[in-house]
Amino acid sequence: MSSSIAVLADPDTVTGFRLGGVKDGYPVNNMEEAENTLKNLIKEDFSIIITTEKIGDELRETIDKLTKSSALPMIIEIPDKTGPMERATDPMGELIKRVIGVEMVK
Amino acid sequence: MAQEMIEGINPTRMELLKLKDREKLAVKGHSLLKEKRNALIMEFFNILERVKGSRDNVEEKLKEAFDDLTAAQVVMGDLAVQKAAMTVKESIEVDIESRSVMGVVVPLIDSKASERTMIQRGYGFVDTSVKIDEAARKFEESVKLIIELAEIEKTIILLAGEIESTKRRVNALEHIIIPRLNNTVKYIEMRLEEMERENFVRLKMIKKAMES
Repeated sequence: MSSSIAVLADPDTVTGFRLGGVKDGYPVNNMEEAENTLKNLIKEDFSIIITTEKIGDELRETIDKLTKSSALPMIIEIPDKTGPMERATDPMGELIKRVIGVEMVK
Repeated sequence: MAQEMIEGINPTRMELLKLKDREKLAVKGHSLLKEKRNALIMEFFNILERVKGSRDNVEEKLKEAFDDLTAAQVVMGDLAVQKAAMTVKESIEVDIESRSVMGVVVPLIDSKASERTMIQRGYGFVDTSVKIDEAARKFEESVKLIIELAEIEKTIILLAGEIESTKRRVNALEHIIIPRLNNTVKYIEMRLEEMERENFVRLKMIKKAMES
């Protein structure tokens, strides 16, 4: 199955990824716009949706609901141009800890 | 939880047979689920090896890419960069297969991101800066890394969910359902024996009464 990648992020990030060859960029400026666009994107056949950590944090519930059970689409959060966000907890680390029961060195 | 039992069971031979069957099934299910859990955890550890540092790589690469992008924007102006970006040709093709790990469908991505020369990217050279070439190259590399990371993280999330639910089922069987069945079987056996003894005594009494 061949499929495509979409970028849902702030305009600068979208420009960057366009340069990198990902044509389906959806620049958004605020969270409402982001949420609506995300819902549309999921209905379409994108298999990987790249978004920024900021958007990801705001739309956590929507994302979780939409992606929890199925393998596709994959939504991946990346840092935007201001660099990685400072997070109190590392969500991946937390998950691994919960499953294995001990902290893994990452 | 010494004597937890299933409520509302008649102490009859019929029920005893049924319960014994159920217990056998539960034990079999338990050992199967346990095997499944172990296999899943093994798979999980394998994938953990791959996730190590892969997020850091992405973050680092992106940081470089954004630096170059900003530089390009400074040199050429924001609009010019956007214009150049619009004309870039699609570079990444992903093939998504799925693979089943113990019934969990996880994605398997095969990406063909080809390294391109500047000419293949498709924007003009007359009005673009060298920084934009750098930025494009770095974004291409980061996209490749991001796709890889996406696959790994998604797999981890799916596996983790399955491991959790399997664990819960194993524990429920081991600590609640099997002991409960066990206790009920024991209870019925004891009741039946007791009834047999009562009967025996009754017979003796009747015999004695008839003899005297």
